[in-house]
Amino acid sequence: MIQTLRRSWPGVPWVAPTVVLLLALSIYPLVFSVKVSLTGPAGFSLANYARLVQDRLFLQALAQTLLYTAVALAIEFVLGLALALLIDSLGRGRALFRAGLLAPMLLPPVVVAVIWRLIYNPQFGVLNGTLRSLSINTSALTWTSGEGGALASVILVDVWEWTPFLFLLLSAGLQALPYEPLEAARMDGASSWQVFRDVVLPLLKPVMTLAILLRTMDLMRIFDQIFILTQGGPGFATETVSLYIYRTAFRFFNFGYAAAMSFLGLGLTIVFAKSLMRVMRVSK
Amino acid sequence: MRAYKCIIGAVLLSGCGKELPTLTIAINAGVEGDALKAAAYEWGARNRMRVDIVELPYANLFEKELLDLTSHTGAYDIIMMDDPWFPRMVENSQLAVIEKQPDTDFLASCLDVCRAPYRTGAFYALPYVGNSQLFFYRKDLFDKHGIAAPATWNDVLAAAKKIGPAEKMYGYVMRAAPGNAVITDFMPLFWVFGAEMFDSQGHAAVATPEAAECVRFMLELGKYSPPGYTGFNADEVSGHLLQSTAVMSINWPAWIAAMDDPARSKIVGKIAFAQMPSARRKGVAELGSWLLGIPAGSKNKQRAAEFLFWATAPAQMKQAALRGNPPTRRSAFLDPELRARFRAFPAQLASLETARPRPRTPLWNEIENAFGIRISQANSGSITPEEALQRANQEIEAIVQRAK
Repeated sequence: MIQTLRRSWPGVPWVAPTVVLLLALSIYPLVFSVKVSLTGPAGFSLANYARLVQDRLFLQALAQTLLYTAVALAIEFVLGLALALLIDSLGRGRALFRAGLLAPMLLPPVVVAVIWRLIYNPQFGVLNGTLRSLSINTSALTWTSGEGGALASVILVDVWEWTPFLFLLLSAGLQALPYEPLEAARMDGASSWQVFRDVVLPLLKPVMTLAILLRTMDLMRIFDQIFILTQGGPGFATETVSLYIYRTAFRFFNFGYAAAMSFLGLGLTIVFAKSLMRVMRVSK
Repeated sequence: MRAYKCIIGAVLLSGCGKELPTLTIAINAGVEGDALKAAAYEWGARNRMRVDIVELPYANLFEKELLDLTSHTGAYDIIMMDDPWFPRMVENSQLAVIEKQPDTDFLASCLDVCRAPYRTGAFYALPYVGNSQLFFYRKDLFDKHGIAAPATWNDVLAAAKKIGPAEKMYGYVMRAAPGNAVITDFMPLFWVFGAEMFDSQGHAAVATPEAAECVRFMLELGKYSPPGYTGFNADEVSGHLLQSTAVMSINWPAWIAAMDDPARSKIVGKIAFAQMPSARRKGVAELGSWLLGIPAGSKNKQRAAEFLFWATAPAQMKQAALRGNPPTRRSAFLDPELRARFRAFPAQLASLETARPRPRTPLWNEIENAFGIRISQANSGSITPEEALQRANQEIEAIVQRAK
């Protein structure tokens, strides 16, 4: 039997360990969490999924997560692209600038959050301290403590830390662009803007898609920075889906509902990824 | 002679190979856990037991312990619990019964929270750290302005209005970050204004005129608090006191040592510790004791029980107090040596004797979270006190109903 198997599928012994590991560490937990999300006190139940649409706090957390993702991604993408173009156009010192720009991304997110928590402190923080030294009244500048500005303050931290990631990807994409189409466009008399719009951007599309996709998946599950900076507050102003899932699972020990929320998040990410691929027509 | 040496060597080697019995203790990473850790190692050395300490931050401690209890893994022989966690942890016989009755030297408020049902049932834990809130205020400034120690919340507000602007300080500072932080500082107000979390049938009852008056009063106090107080936790509150930028606050005994530490504090000897102010009802502090229990899944229950009684006996309780832990025994609070060393002990004892625990429900974490979000929103002005209480009431009731 084993001999026959070996003759028929000679690769089986080589891939079997990986398949077993994948089944044990990924597939089984995934299937098990589906089961947990579909289990109520009296057996099979869709109650956890039904609760999702009635839970005002979850819906608010979801809306805030989407807003956070959209705003942070837009700013990071534009800044990352602008920096990549700027650094790419430099004749000398490119490596130095590139290394310097990457520094925030190399710090652990928890460390970044703790540093920014100190920076944002309305009384003792360096931000308001600097503004006060410039004779600016900071009494209304509460940053992460004010309901109005908390989400924006948290987004600013994300932009500071993760713009370099987009810069890195887009910069690598720019350097890998073929020289000939750019040269041909210039020879045909295209302006810099036309070269950028009609040649660079279309050629950069696969890299841009990858960058947006990776960053969106990261942003949709933002947790550590907000957990340290605001714990979802003030009130509920910066609560995100990941934070809400964490609380539901590990503070309230309601794993079924937490799993249902996770699957909704996963579904939204897949839908977004598919839509993005379609819009960017990467597969073609 | 040579054979004799070989035999001795073999015996010694076999002794080395034999593993000592192990006691595994999950503790909170912090001053409360430090004293227990030192005691556990001492006990291990005396009893030829290996002691493994699993030290975890507050938030992780709860989830690790509850996972161990619900799965009966037997990973821990003793767990350290914050008292609001106890009703959740004692459910479904997850904790072992403490067969031997604790003596009456323990303070009743600390012992009551170790029983299931509360106050009347069997013991499932012993109290190790006697934490209850105190009212911290700047005695030097009160004396300077000729104001007596605040006895009521109206006194607190009046003092905040008078001393704050005169001294270019914030009259009051409070924890108002969502969840546990805001509720911790809110409950002593909530109770003395005559409000309760549940009615006699166990239904949510936070949307009452008394509760609304209490939230409005909290907002009034907020006017004399530092900007951004709606995001404050214990660190920020204590930071304002230590830096001499705020006059009064509710706080926990763990911060007393910092107030009198010249390396950290600008107010050494200037702060006094009092009972919670009163309003409609007599002032009451929130209890936050740390308990020691034995998971039902432990394989060393007998040894664990021996350690529990040893660690909470008067002699060890005094040692723990000297290491910085507020005791749970009356005799420790009355000990002359400890009284001479810890000036807040009389106030701490008085506070503990009357302290009130958070509602004894296994759903407290979830209820506190829902209530905390709405009270925090009221503090930040995004919803009115009435709206906050209405929404909180609906959400708390939904939590209660879901669990039925």
